[in-house]
Amino acid sequence: MTTFRQELKSRFAALGIIVVLVLGVLLLRLWTMQVLQGKTFSAQAEDNHIRELSIPAPRGRILDRRGRVIVDNRAVLAVTVDPSDETIREIIARTQPKAEEPMTPAQVQAKLGAFSKIVGVPVDEILHRVRVSKLEALRPRVVALDVPMSVVSYLAEHESRFPYASVDVVAVRDYPLGALAAHVIGYTGEISESQLADPKMSGYQLGDIVGKAGAEAEFEAVLQGDKGYRRIQVDALGRPKGVLEQRDPIPGRDIRLSIDIDVQRETEKALAQALQDAHRQHFGKARAGAAVAVDVTTGEVVAMASAPTFDPSQFVGGISAKDWKRLNDKSSEYPLNNRAIMAAYPPASTFKVVTGLAGLQSGLINQGFSWDCRGVWTEMGKEWKKYCWLRSGHGSLGFTGAISNSCDSYFYEVGYKLYKAPGEKLQAFARSIGLGKKSGIDLPGEVQGRVPDKAWKKQFNADYPEWQTWLPGDTVNMAIGQGDMLVSPLQLVNVYAAVANGGKVLQPHVLLQVVGAKGQAAKKAETTVIARPRISQDNLSLMHTALERVTEDGTGRAAFRNFDLRVAGKTGTAQVAGKDDFAWFAGYAPADQPKYAVVVVVEQGGHGGSVAGPAGRSIFASLFGLKTEHVQATDASR
Amino acid sequence: MDRTPLKRVLKVINVPLLLVALALIVYGVVMVSSATATMGAHGAMVKRQLLGVLIGLVPLAIAAAVDYQTLTHWVGPLAVVNALLIISPRIPGLGDKANGATSWLQFAGHRLFQPSEPAKLILIVVMAAVISQFKGRIETSRDVGRVLAYLGPPLLLILLQPDLGTGMVFVAITMGMLLVGGLKPKWFLVFAIVGVVLVGVVLKAGVLQEYQMNRLLVFVDPSRDPAGAGYNLAQSKIAIGSGGITGKGLGSGTQSNLNFLPERHTDFIFAVLGEELGFMGAVLLLGLYLGLLVAALEVAASSRDLFGALIVAGFISMWTFQILVNVGMTVGIMPITGIPLPFMSFGSSFMVTNLAGIGMLLSVWSRRYGA
Repeated sequence: MTTFRQELKSRFAALGIIVVLVLGVLLLRLWTMQVLQGKTFSAQAEDNHIRELSIPAPRGRILDRRGRVIVDNRAVLAVTVDPSDETIREIIARTQPKAEEPMTPAQVQAKLGAFSKIVGVPVDEILHRVRVSKLEALRPRVVALDVPMSVVSYLAEHESRFPYASVDVVAVRDYPLGALAAHVIGYTGEISESQLADPKMSGYQLGDIVGKAGAEAEFEAVLQGDKGYRRIQVDALGRPKGVLEQRDPIPGRDIRLSIDIDVQRETEKALAQALQDAHRQHFGKARAGAAVAVDVTTGEVVAMASAPTFDPSQFVGGISAKDWKRLNDKSSEYPLNNRAIMAAYPPASTFKVVTGLAGLQSGLINQGFSWDCRGVWTEMGKEWKKYCWLRSGHGSLGFTGAISNSCDSYFYEVGYKLYKAPGEKLQAFARSIGLGKKSGIDLPGEVQGRVPDKAWKKQFNADYPEWQTWLPGDTVNMAIGQGDMLVSPLQLVNVYAAVANGGKVLQPHVLLQVVGAKGQAAKKAETTVIARPRISQDNLSLMHTALERVTEDGTGRAAFRNFDLRVAGKTGTAQVAGKDDFAWFAGYAPADQPKYAVVVVVEQGGHGGSVAGPAGRSIFASLFGLKTEHVQATDASR
Repeated sequence: MDRTPLKRVLKVINVPLLLVALALIVYGVVMVSSATATMGAHGAMVKRQLLGVLIGLVPLAIAAAVDYQTLTHWVGPLAVVNALLIISPRIPGLGDKANGATSWLQFAGHRLFQPSEPAKLILIVVMAAVISQFKGRIETSRDVGRVLAYLGPPLLLILLQPDLGTGMVFVAITMGMLLVGGLKPKWFLVFAIVGVVLVGVVLKAGVLQEYQMNRLLVFVDPSRDPAGAGYNLAQSKIAIGSGGITGKGLGSGTQSNLNFLPERHTDFIFAVLGEELGFMGAVLLLGLYLGLLVAALEVAASSRDLFGALIVAGFISMWTFQILVNVGMTVGIMPITGIPLPFMSFGSSFMVTNLAGIGMLLSVWSRRYGA
């Protein structure tokens, strides 16, 4: 019996071992899950029951220099489509380029046709909007903005028919002045994947609306504000159970631009008028141009126009595929480009100011230097003769006469002297007055233009050894603003502003101030001198006199006849290979105490004096509050 | 001095066993209360659980007072009653089916109890009586056949309900008792082989209900069907894992209160415990179970006869198996089966059965020196 007792004991021991093993295995498993992997599971539990909704911050407004609103926000009713909806997901999957069971357009139409008709957006457009940005699959997509209440109530009543659709109130950009100053203000759009990857854009999420061009892009950090968020607890069915935490958004700051909307409006009008003038003068290809007005004492850009233009409201709620294609079509002349800072043109005769000052400052010519223009200039030899635009010749001209009549022969000679002198003095002076490099204006996309020289030519023609030598003709051509010389309208207006203000190249800018939370100026733009070219007072006043004579009895006289403002300026007519001539006007006023400088350029517009000059006059008129009357000049001079 | 009333009571009553059982019951009621906190019928459910405890005290007292040995005379009738109990939910007018597997006995529209719970208890008594006849040596196939003749009918009937979970508990109970009852080790090997073959046949033959098949497949591959059968498992694991070391606090489980955990007051009560009380709470529970089972082993070891020891072994097997399968399924190491956690899961039928079991243990303990 004792042995049986002992055997029984060992059986109980076996049972006890099983018990301990079972509890031990469970304990081990709990240790790994709760102690070792607790954090992972905690995160999963939070994901389960916490939903974070971001509350967009109202974007700062854009105001003009006097505080008038150019870009505002407004709340609109928007129809959104949920891309995670089953129907939508299926359509997206089966309309991919290599879908396994492709859906025919008729099948897509059958599924979305009714909805498309109600919201008034083509099926293709709906799909385009739902498909973009695949990364954020859950965020509802805006397919129609500003929908009428009838559509809203129809969708609400027929919810089961359109389970993917819902109506939201969203804040969008509003443009009370229409397309005015479109290139300066730019436009907004959904952040792109490449922008998201930019370390400067950290803190942004897919779907955020950001500035894409112009001031909207440049001052994004100020305008954006800080998003708020709301952490909501939801139950297993996704029903909200309460707000755990909320942070209100911090609205973006308003910015005040140096643009004056009155002047801007007149500038845009003048540019449009210049295009019409060009057409009337049989330059039918004129479709594009730019105009800039700056304050010569501060560098503030008061007006900046570019043609053709675009309507920034097209971008509200996402631009349609059709509109985007149209804006980027080759035949559209690229309306999104701000030609005032993004285009570089040969400056033609407007550059004679630079050549003249370079000649005077280098001592190669002086006030008394004169040249007898016979209509053709042969100093480089008979086989390299060059013509003045006035084939009959200007006769003997001094400095002021050569400027006011825009005599090419005179400046060929000055250019030739500059070529023969050591040290590339023309290029050096051009650079010293701000050409060939970006001005650094507070707008994105500025080009740097070009000041050609020996080194540039060699490098530019690296593959063509026979074209690498800098020839006398290169400097001679450059002297009249042709050849390889290129400037942007903004660079040129800055040159004239520097001449006007006594020789200081100022930093051009469009931001006047950032408006603080209480309406105070949180940050003010300052006047900055970015370059001081060496120009003597004597040479400056000689140039003033010469430029004033342009509008008195020179190439600008037709455009500025009977004008109640003394304007100093210069016309230009640029030759561009394969195109009609480009028309230029650059000047400043009042001539005796300059305040504003203006540049107008019309691509393929023909003559500077008869197309760009009258536009310049209209812009000056609005700058000084004069009666704006359009003059029709028929001057074929340059 | 050793004739004081206290000493006499201590001699008759196994105080550690009672204290551990009491602690488990309190722990269970607290957890049921917390798990049902955000349910509409919170108060009623806690009351029902407490009522189950109160009702359970009656069979506990009776079982403790009555000499368990008298049960040996009732093996035949008990086996018949058990068979009737098991099939009773199938009898028109008496049965009520819920959740596909849980079967209820009802009368006049009122649910009385789940017959599968007392069936476990009766099975333990019947098997203990049968196995004890072999005096601790079960060697021949005839012996094994006689034992299986008593397991077979109730097992088959419960599987036909179909109640796979209780069927597995029946098998586990019997195996534990056979271990103590002296079955030769080679037979366990035979059972194991037969069991594997049977499982294979059952899976192939498609005898299982669709939900049972799903649960098994999800156990093999949890990523399968994450919204359906895999959901319960995933949410349970998240709940327990996110409890960490100290838990989120009683009543503060987000998985539990926000309805992410299904069946949280019954089959998944351990997930609530793991979430709200963390690893500490789980260790406390497993510690109490260890205490209960060790106390029970001591009762078994001190039983004056094999019959008593076998009864206790039956309960030890039942509890151990149910703890393993229930906690195991909540942490993803066992397939999901509707097996409740002893003393913890909401449900009075199982509570009453367990308390009756404690009563029988006390009966074995108090008569350990012979009568």
